[in-house]
Amino acid sequence: MEIRFRVLLVIALASLTGCASVRHLFGHHGASGGDTVADARGGADEGAIPDREDGGPGSGGERGAGSGEAPASGSSQNGDESAPDQSSPRVIEPQVERRKIKVPRIRSQNIEVGGYYGTLNIEDFGAHPVYGVQAAYHITEDIFFQAEAGRSKGGYTSFEKLSNVQLLTTGERWFKYYDLSVGYNLFPGEVFLGRNFALRSTFYLLGGLGGTEFGGDQKFTVNFGAGYKVLPADWLAVHVAVEDRVFNTDLLGVTKLASNLEAHLGVTFFFGF
Amino acid sequence: MLARPLLLLLPLPLALSGPAHARERLQVFVNAPYLELHTGPGRGYPVFNVVERGGSVDVLKRFTDWYKVRTERGIEGWVAQRDMLQTVLADGTPFTFNLGDRAGFTSHRFEAGVFLYGDYGGASELGGYGSFSLTSSLAVELSVGEFLGKASNGTLGDIGLEHVFLPEKRFSPFVTLGTGIVYTQPKATLVQPSDRTDQSAYAGAGFRFYLTRRFFVRGEYRNHIVFTKSNQNEQVDEWKFGFAFFL
Repeated sequence: MEIRFRVLLVIALASLTGCASVRHLFGHHGASGGDTVADARGGADEGAIPDREDGGPGSGGERGAGSGEAPASGSSQNGDESAPDQSSPRVIEPQVERRKIKVPRIRSQNIEVGGYYGTLNIEDFGAHPVYGVQAAYHITEDIFFQAEAGRSKGGYTSFEKLSNVQLLTTGERWFKYYDLSVGYNLFPGEVFLGRNFALRSTFYLLGGLGGTEFGGDQKFTVNFGAGYKVLPADWLAVHVAVEDRVFNTDLLGVTKLASNLEAHLGVTFFFGF
Repeated sequence: MLARPLLLLLPLPLALSGPAHARERLQVFVNAPYLELHTGPGRGYPVFNVVERGGSVDVLKRFTDWYKVRTERGIEGWVAQRDMLQTVLADGTPFTFNLGDRAGFTSHRFEAGVFLYGDYGGASELGGYGSFSLTSSLAVELSVGEFLGKASNGTLGDIGLEHVFLPEKRFSPFVTLGTGIVYTQPKATLVQPSDRTDQSAYAGAGFRFYLTRRFFVRGEYRNHIVFTKSNQNEQVDEWKFGFAFFL
């Protein structure tokens, strides 16, 4: 019985020395310089690359085990001195600190704001000066949204002039409108002023909906038109635009579609955030 | 006498322009064989200069999908977004610019839009809205509109909550609930009823559909109950459809 136990114990001991963790317990401290160097390097690696510590202490243990497996398979403790360097070549991580790049904000210039002045032909009430403000937001190089708000003052109809009757009060003659439109840059291009000077330009189409206050009533209005703009600078544009503002009116007794043509010259500025 | 106060104003433009000069510009390095500089921010504008691989440019500003850059030699031109994405920063990381994507559509802070089609109780309506998201599916929204019809004109302003179902989907439905004020100007030729301002409450449902970048379309229906001063409350159906963007 005793012999059996002894044999078993010897076999167990012999097999355990091959096991990395047990080898770690037994022969590690007394091992030769090779292991110490490897461990020291392992420690240095851990210090240099903190993100490699994900595995925690376990990863260090595995590393130690890795370096120990080679000598164990070679069944010689003396092999420890040279084996780790040959069997598992280590990649030396360069200890370079990355430059921290602060990315400054890139300013956009998609918003266009300005004003205009021109002539509006109010149906039956004559052509009169019109002025207003406009703002646009450019979505792509082709498409933009535009809002306009303007006012003009209508004159007298021929009936009023001939009969000396006033259909509208002075306040009701104000023609005030606003609209929201979608615009499309149909022909973008350049304008050449002499040999060395070119300005950006575009011909655009506009169409939208809005409201018009005239003759003591507010009308749902459809507007459409076209314009041409030249940009003397990236932040500045000069427009010439023609638009028609159409709404249903019964101001003169019969319901009809009133067409109010407007031509204006505008100046706008580009900005953004 | 007038000259002295004017002289005091002279340094003003200099002071105003100061921060502009001190502004830091983003410097990017060309990582493609070359970077093309166009004369204008558009596909048709000719290429007049190139920067070779390894060269750098300063990014001055952006107009839609185009970036205005200045080369090391001081030449300024416009570069397309797709070309800019092939440049790298000084630390070697690729230049990226978020022009908006589906992730932003799912979760964003602000959104705003205009309704190009609207119908408020039979009257044509124009309006807009803005909203602030509390979570990806819950937002507080503010909407305004003006309706112009045969029977009456008016304006309305509403504030309410919006709950979005499936915010991560391209097509995401939502429900809304809120309150508001409606100002009505009846049009009558025989009797002239007075204008009135009433409080209202609404419940509604709608959808949003992601288009591209930061843009989506939005359509919705709202059922308003207007608390009039007469005995009976009014019910008004409102239909709206328009374009919106998120930030």
